[in-house]
Amino acid sequence: MNALLLVRAHTKIQFLDLIRWPGYVVPTVVFPAMFYSIFDLPAARIHANDADLLALAFIAWAVVGVTLYQFGVGIAQERGRPWERYVRTLPAPVFVRFGARIATALLFGVIAAALVALVARAFTPIDLTLEQWLRVLVYAIAGGVPFVLIGITIGYWASARASVPMATAVNLLLAYAGGLWMPPQYLPSFVAAISPYLPTRQFGDLLWSVVGHGSASHAVMGLASYTLIFGFLAAVGYRRDERKRYA
Amino acid sequence: MILAFEDVVKSYGEVRALDGLSFAVGRDEKVALLGPNGAGKTTALEIALGLRGCDFGSVRLFGASPRSIAVRRRLGVTPQESGFPDMLTVAEIAEFVAQHYPTPAPLAHTLSTFGLESMKRRRAGTLSGGESRRLALALAFIGNPEFVVLDEPTTGLDVQSRRRLWDVVREASGNRSILFTTHYLEEAQELASRILVVDRGRLLFDGDAQTLRGRVGGRRVTYVGQDGPVVAMPSDTDAYVRALVNSGAPFSNLEISRPSLEEAFLLLTRGAA
Repeated sequence: MNALLLVRAHTKIQFLDLIRWPGYVVPTVVFPAMFYSIFDLPAARIHANDADLLALAFIAWAVVGVTLYQFGVGIAQERGRPWERYVRTLPAPVFVRFGARIATALLFGVIAAALVALVARAFTPIDLTLEQWLRVLVYAIAGGVPFVLIGITIGYWASARASVPMATAVNLLLAYAGGLWMPPQYLPSFVAAISPYLPTRQFGDLLWSVVGHGSASHAVMGLASYTLIFGFLAAVGYRRDERKRYA
Repeated sequence: MILAFEDVVKSYGEVRALDGLSFAVGRDEKVALLGPNGAGKTTALEIALGLRGCDFGSVRLFGASPRSIAVRRRLGVTPQESGFPDMLTVAEIAEFVAQHYPTPAPLAHTLSTFGLESMKRRRAGTLSGGESRRLALALAFIGNPEFVVLDEPTTGLDVQSRRRLWDVVREASGNRSILFTTHYLEEAQELASRILVVDRGRLLFDGDAQTLRGRVGGRRVTYVGQDGPVVAMPSDTDAYVRALVNSGAPFSNLEISRPSLEEAFLLLTRGAA
């Protein structure tokens, strides 16, 4: 249980260090709600039937963006820092640092998603029961895991310089093609053809299943596969970096 | 035994950083690892802390692998470069580090020992060089560990702050075992009971400052002769001076002195090729 207290201590430190940087907080936490307000709020107010789906899609995107960014860019930039090197000398198992990273990313992801939900609640006819909101929360955290691993993979395989554009490109392409910005039925046909195989689409389906859309079982299978694939790539990338840096 | 290196070899590609280094740190010892830049001090320290492995030889920390979490609970370390997360306060960083240890020292006590009490709410990004160095040192002691490793504890500070910090480190050290790297001889002399001189990855000397100075043996003779100033380190000082006087050559300002620690050190490391 000592290890859990350490995960909490590491999470607190990482969270406080990030939350006090406006330059980090605004783009990562506020942007999803802002984009939602600009692009989907008008549509959601007109097409009341779609309000739920649009908001849930942006909730998914909020989690995707934060986890990709927090990990992809965070890990790549911190790998060589003196502070990271020092933290490694502290008596804590490797999983403590990783666990804290995952917790921090999901925490920021949930905050970003909560802002989208607040905007949706305030300005659209979205209508979810408390039980449905709780399912959204659980799905958002669980469905965020493969994106955490995609972020870690980028963080360990890309250089500090390449990680920002790469995380941004992956985020934007996956969000678009996965139908999180516009409903999947409006995507060009060739994009619509690959869309169901993308993790963003599966994440969207998972959340849409809360209001009776999309296939949750298909989504869970897909997200689990991505978790395995990127879990493996992330682990290989981590070991490769360890050998290079601390052999 | 707290820390034991046995025939440790470590290469980075073609460069051999440690070339059969052996030494040990015992209980209550204060040991300085002294050497010029590139001598292998940092590599030795990184291996002792479990940050790196070695190619050959063995390294034991409290009789176990330095990568073991259990033994690292008995070890306190300073960050070498003081790169703290800018947005965290002094108290937050100190508390974070203390949480890793089973019986940490009281936070307030450690902070006041290192003169950080008044700035515990300051963010690390606003600390001066000297202040963040004090924080770095405080972190090594905050877990109340048996063994403390300091990497160049006062590098980059002015002479006065360096002296003040030595007093603080002495006070905080108590009867802990300490290993620190330095390239200041004075620092080694002030803080260490034992000096290890390392160059080119090998141990050249192991003993106290007195013995190190004595290593050079003779005295240093300086005078201004016919062709300008002369510095000599004769093996027999008396015979040398007698010969000088008997030669009848004019000279002035004859001075016979013991070589400084600095000179002893230079002689030792330069002669190692």
